[in-house]
Amino acid sequence: MLYLQILINGVLLGGLYSCIAVGFSLVWGVLNIINLLHGSLMILGAYAAFFAHAAWGIHPFLFAPVAGLLLFLVGLALQAGIVNRVMGAPVLITLTLTFGLNLMLDNAMIVAFKADYRKVILDPPLGLLELGNLLVPLDRLYVMALALLLVAGLYAVLRFTSVGRAIVAVRMDRDAAALMGVEVKRIYALTFAAGAFMAGAAGSLMSVIFPISPLTSNAFLGKAFVICVLGGLGSTPGVMIGGILLGVLESFGTLWLGPDFSTTIAFVLLLALLVFRPSGLMGRKGFE
Amino acid sequence: MNVQRRNLMRHAATALLWATLGSAGTTMAQSTLLVGAPLPLTGPLSPEGIKLQRGYDLWADEANKAGGVSVGKSKMPVKIVYYDYQSNTPRAVQLAEKLVTDDKVNFMFSPFGSGATKAASAVSEKYGVPTLAPTASSIEVFDRGYKNLFGTFTANDSLSEPMAEMIKTTAPSVKRVAILARNDLYPLALGQEFEKSLKKRGLDVVYFDKYPIGTLDHASAITQIRIARPDWVVVTGYINDLILVRKQLGDQKVKPTVLTMINGPVYQEFVDAVGPLANNVTTATWWHPAARYTSGDVFKSSENYTRLYKAKYNEEPDFTHATGSAVGVLLQMAIERAGSIDRDKVRAALAAGKFATFFGPLSFGPEGIANSYTPPIIQLQNGKSVVLYPPEIRNAELKLGLD
Repeated sequence: MLYLQILINGVLLGGLYSCIAVGFSLVWGVLNIINLLHGSLMILGAYAAFFAHAAWGIHPFLFAPVAGLLLFLVGLALQAGIVNRVMGAPVLITLTLTFGLNLMLDNAMIVAFKADYRKVILDPPLGLLELGNLLVPLDRLYVMALALLLVAGLYAVLRFTSVGRAIVAVRMDRDAAALMGVEVKRIYALTFAAGAFMAGAAGSLMSVIFPISPLTSNAFLGKAFVICVLGGLGSTPGVMIGGILLGVLESFGTLWLGPDFSTTIAFVLLLALLVFRPSGLMGRKGFE
Repeated sequence: MNVQRRNLMRHAATALLWATLGSAGTTMAQSTLLVGAPLPLTGPLSPEGIKLQRGYDLWADEANKAGGVSVGKSKMPVKIVYYDYQSNTPRAVQLAEKLVTDDKVNFMFSPFGSGATKAASAVSEKYGVPTLAPTASSIEVFDRGYKNLFGTFTANDSLSEPMAEMIKTTAPSVKRVAILARNDLYPLALGQEFEKSLKKRGLDVVYFDKYPIGTLDHASAITQIRIARPDWVVVTGYINDLILVRKQLGDQKVKPTVLTMINGPVYQEFVDAVGPLANNVTTATWWHPAARYTSGDVFKSSENYTRLYKAKYNEEPDFTHATGSAVGVLLQMAIERAGSIDRDKVRAALAAGKFATFFGPLSFGPEGIANSYTPPIIQLQNGKSVVLYPPEIRNAELKLGLD
């Protein structure tokens, strides 16, 4: 029973992790930008959901696409106005830029929303699914399902639409894509905005699970980073598998070594992967 | 005519401005009491830093309304010199040094929390500046033989001892206890004090573990707690940890007879963020608006302090706001007793103790940590916090079980 419950805890947590990481992975994979803003964009989405719920009673699950769209616009503006200027620059430049933007956004959110921790409280709560002795919190289950749906949607867009194919083409070979008539700058902007969409939607879903504050954005960013390396950059299925793997490993790490070392197993695995399979579990450059 | 009058007016205004500036300058140099306050006004500790600042400001306002601090026969207005150390402890130490050497402050208030207080206290000790610590409760901060550090919080074991005693006597069915502590100076030290206090009373600690800073998920630890079947669960940590743990205890139907989360129930944001799950959660704390101390300070009583705080900030004060104001009144009373701002005399007055403040009676042990009052134990009942202990200010009985 114990192991099964720990496995359930881990898979549910992993589903949340995947949802956090997928937009981050897309931007990193296609634009070669490590977007340190990602965690803060998620928190902004979570705030939008929190206030929509507080003011109009809109369920954060229904609000997720709206939060995504809002963040899509924010992402588009950021890319067109600022990030585009450093495209193709060495990684340190883009890292410094997104780091600076992240500090500004975090502090702007502290000024606007205060640093108090908030959470969406669903009334009535979604409750639990009880399978004998096993307990499955339904809010986590639904968030995981919706996150999977979002990720599947992103995968479908990349795979089956012309914009999606253009994104993949730019990722594989920017110059060749440009020669084929793909407007590379437009694709960059759309990709960055799509990453922001995923962050906003994820934030909205997470607002029923995690306390929201600008101070927590870096914790989410850290997880996204690990998952990308585990799963492979830019690979949507890789992010799903990386996220769930991390969740399960952390859960069993807690059981075997105590909560203080829960991340130890995950990071040992990460180091091993970096040595033996640096492209991650599913990372194959240019394939989607 | 008009032109002449205008010129005259202009000269008069300029003269007045110079006179004002000149006199202000002289006042600043000669008769303003300067207190240095490095605070985490931005970064992760900013909520706490802002609370302390509000506490300090309320004291300075009230003291200045009365003309300032009495020093012998004259009065000195108070000015608090703030610096933001951005929640970065090494920066707090640098700024403490700058306050003493550049800004030439007379006295200091410590930065936030046990860790930063300990680090910055070396600076005040080096320069011999009496420093009041509003938020340090770990004995490790005070056990280095320093002469200039005085803290308003009682030591961590003063929270665990009365709590363990109260539960033991009022809920004899409680036998098995689980402790989950954040691996951080204050929360971990507190968890360990709880373990000692519980074992001393023959209670069975069936689970004790610590979680790292920044934990995003407690599900597996809580699964283990559920299997250990505790009657009492004690969780220590900061507000985001406690919100998450409370939610996840609910997710796994862990419903002990007593649930203690230190210091969650003290904060309105905890109550707002966990909603109905906050009901019946207990904590110990150092001060509560239900406190009923009469005092010899500018606030006159705890009740009046709460009233003035609400009038200024439109919210209920919690123990962090109150301890911020408490270091202010403590400094003021010590200066007034010493009749001077001479650091040696004020240090001696502080060490002599016996200050009747709105925060409680304040005296200090030889190491400088407060040892003169009993911290209250509170519980959230139907959305309101009630006081269970000490008996002098109790306004409700302990409610067992969780909804």
